[in-house]
Amino acid sequence: MKERLDKYTLKNGMVVLGEPMEAVASAAFGFMLPSGAAVLPEGCCGAGGVIADWIFRGAGDKNSRQLGDALDGLGLARSRSVGSSHITIGAALEAGNLAQALDLHADIILKPSLEEDQFELARQLAIDGLLSLDDDPRQKVMLKLREQFYPSPLGRSPVGEIAELKALTAEKTRQIINDNFNLSQTIFAVAGKYDLEAVCHQIEKLFETERQEAAEPVMLGSKAGKYTHIDNDGAQVHIGLMTDTVKPTDEDYYNARVAVSVLSGGMSARLFTKVREERGLCYAIGARYHCLKDAAGIMCYAGTTPDKAQETLDVIMQEFDKLGEGISEEEIQRAKVGLKSSLILSSESSSSRAGAIASDYYMLGRVRGLDEIKDKIEATSVNSVLGFLRSNKFKDFTVVTIGPKCLK
Amino acid sequence: MEFKKKTLSNGLDVVGEVNKSAKSAAVGFFVKTGSRDESEQINGVSHFLEHMLFKGTEKLSALEVNEAFDRTGAQFNAFTSEENTVFYAAVLPEYLLEVTGLWIELMRPALRDDDFSIEKNVIKEEIAMYKDMPSFDVMDQCRTLHFDGHPCGNSVLGSEASIDNLTAEQMRDYFARRYAPNNMVLACAGNFDWDQICSIAANSCSRWQKQAVGRKLEHYGGSKKKKRVEKSNLAREHICLMSAGLSAQDPRRFAASLLGIIVGDNVGSRFFWELVDKALADAATMQFGAMDGTGAFYSYISCSTDNVTKVLDTVSDIFQSLSKNGITEDELRKAKNKVLSALVIKNELPMGRLVDLGFNWIYLEKYRTVQDDISAIKAVTVDDVNVLIEQFNPGEFTQLSLGPAQDRGLKTENRRQRTDSDL
Repeated sequence: MKERLDKYTLKNGMVVLGEPMEAVASAAFGFMLPSGAAVLPEGCCGAGGVIADWIFRGAGDKNSRQLGDALDGLGLARSRSVGSSHITIGAALEAGNLAQALDLHADIILKPSLEEDQFELARQLAIDGLLSLDDDPRQKVMLKLREQFYPSPLGRSPVGEIAELKALTAEKTRQIINDNFNLSQTIFAVAGKYDLEAVCHQIEKLFETERQEAAEPVMLGSKAGKYTHIDNDGAQVHIGLMTDTVKPTDEDYYNARVAVSVLSGGMSARLFTKVREERGLCYAIGARYHCLKDAAGIMCYAGTTPDKAQETLDVIMQEFDKLGEGISEEEIQRAKVGLKSSLILSSESSSSRAGAIASDYYMLGRVRGLDEIKDKIEATSVNSVLGFLRSNKFKDFTVVTIGPKCLK
Repeated sequence: MEFKKKTLSNGLDVVGEVNKSAKSAAVGFFVKTGSRDESEQINGVSHFLEHMLFKGTEKLSALEVNEAFDRTGAQFNAFTSEENTVFYAAVLPEYLLEVTGLWIELMRPALRDDDFSIEKNVIKEEIAMYKDMPSFDVMDQCRTLHFDGHPCGNSVLGSEASIDNLTAEQMRDYFARRYAPNNMVLACAGNFDWDQICSIAANSCSRWQKQAVGRKLEHYGGSKKKKRVEKSNLAREHICLMSAGLSAQDPRRFAASLLGIIVGDNVGSRFFWELVDKALADAATMQFGAMDGTGAFYSYISCSTDNVTKVLDTVSDIFQSLSKNGITEDELRKAKNKVLSALVIKNELPMGRLVDLGFNWIYLEKYRTVQDDISAIKAVTVDDVNVLIEQFNPGEFTQLSLGPAQDRGLKTENRRQRTDSDL
């Protein structure tokens, strides 16, 4: 399996990445705009979500309705997300409509109408989205967890803060778009069926500008806290737990990924076995690797009824502690096969590949080939994973709970 | 793509769609049983049984089952609905045979008493989890209200009480009646060797005993009842609307799906432009769900309690205008484009193909290519959709709302702010 990576850089620094896929008739693309929650100015928490909505409310010569109709007319499965570092907008579609979709997205990014009345609607929806989070404790606990775990402002909530959203103005938001939609720092990725020359030519025509200065890097503050409880008279206590680990640039990265997989890769992994299968404490239990460019952690979620919540948290913590004490060859093999298999399975999807190559480029400054990743996973062993765990002991845990009961 | 089919003498259908250029393969058992096949006494047993199949066989413990799957790197799981229980895995081609063999073994589970007791806790945790997801809870409660005694209104999860009262013996009895070879399909899609799959199925499944199985099919138009349920910890109003639709066997189901997209896709639909774009609701979707012998349109809306009247008036206007004027050519064209591209993208993955392959066999006992579906969608006309609107009138719906106690809207707001500033 030899995949090809296409890369082209515009004079202004904007990067075009592509991965052609033979077996598909679709294409997926995404623009990573350097305007995520952590890089926005203080006092504007939630502005990212407002922006990601507002720029779709009319662009170029089209009003909101005409733009929406044009996107729908191309059959786009749209995607947009606000992360810590970027707003990503993109779509998956039948490959034949790619050129028209890119033209529309150029208008959305470069020529959004940004009308005042549309701003109010976008802001109201952002406020509603934030209030709705109270009815979705599972999602809320993980957002709070990131906020508490990552050094400020990296974990800042992309959903926002109510007071700051209420105070946000159209003028301020326009300024943020102007300052942060920096094409020199933008990554464009496409995967699936596309014509490289045509795509590069089109992107160049649409997005070539003067080079723009990079924004100052954000100053990192401290972590917020060890334990946070939010009272909610629901059926379960929702537990989020996170602890430090190495970043993707670290030489121990693959050891960390295999370690997390031993803990929670498949249904035979330790958390599922000890917490759910043997004790019946939870339905939903799992841990995964989560990273930003400047920090990474192992993130764990469990939901359980109040009487079992303390035991659940205790067993989870024990399993984290025990991991470095010993891992069997069998466990390592299962973890490695699981990681390699999910890599190959996701490589059949154009959306997954477009997301993966863009994220690699941002995190590492280059795109890893599937063979490289497979080889690095293969190179890990019981000794290398245990060595990593022993020199990087889990010590500080950030815990957030939402539910009728506070834990110790 | 090449379609293959074999029926064993005990009635087990094995179907496959071979695509040698795929990087993976997918396999699944589709069992024609779900909550609509349960009596009140054993409500929740189909879903509980789905969990119990992972607990092993006479030869394999639960841990050994999980280890065996994980050794292959399979992405495997199962789900239960009102009328089907599906066990599936996506896997690299070299492991497909092994994983298929494992599923075949699990289809004859041990159903041990001690596993049953531990898993009861997990099921009750799952019930509790969904209670904390009002967007799910409201749909579940609305389905019960809509079907009002018809078996399609039975809860998939069951209640805490029904699960408490369920015995392992009742489950074994249900298993023996429903997991008969003539009530299930083994399906494979992607890159795999058909002859090997056939041979393992013939060797291992032929001793399964055929049973007299069935299901009473009865179309039901819905109760059209209205109900509001209060929950003190909720912040928003969650509204579910349900109205009658047509069945999974009805050729007009493609037109019904397009109607769902036109009215309630998450972007670009009538609900989107009138409710979400105008910030009256933060979510408003409608979709068509075809079932065995019946069907329904489901809408879900989330909004502030202050906006409920305006939202429902708007919904009523949307349905009235649909009844009066029908849909437009332009709406249908956009809906078709969306459905067609989603169909193409989904079917690029063997796992996506497996789902369609299996369900087409369950409902139609037919193989349909992706191209068959594309052609059927392209052939739908404005008139086809308008006739459906006239016949099913989606404006006459059952309605269930889940929201905070009505006189306490202000208190909720205060509590939320205090919680935030505590952090």
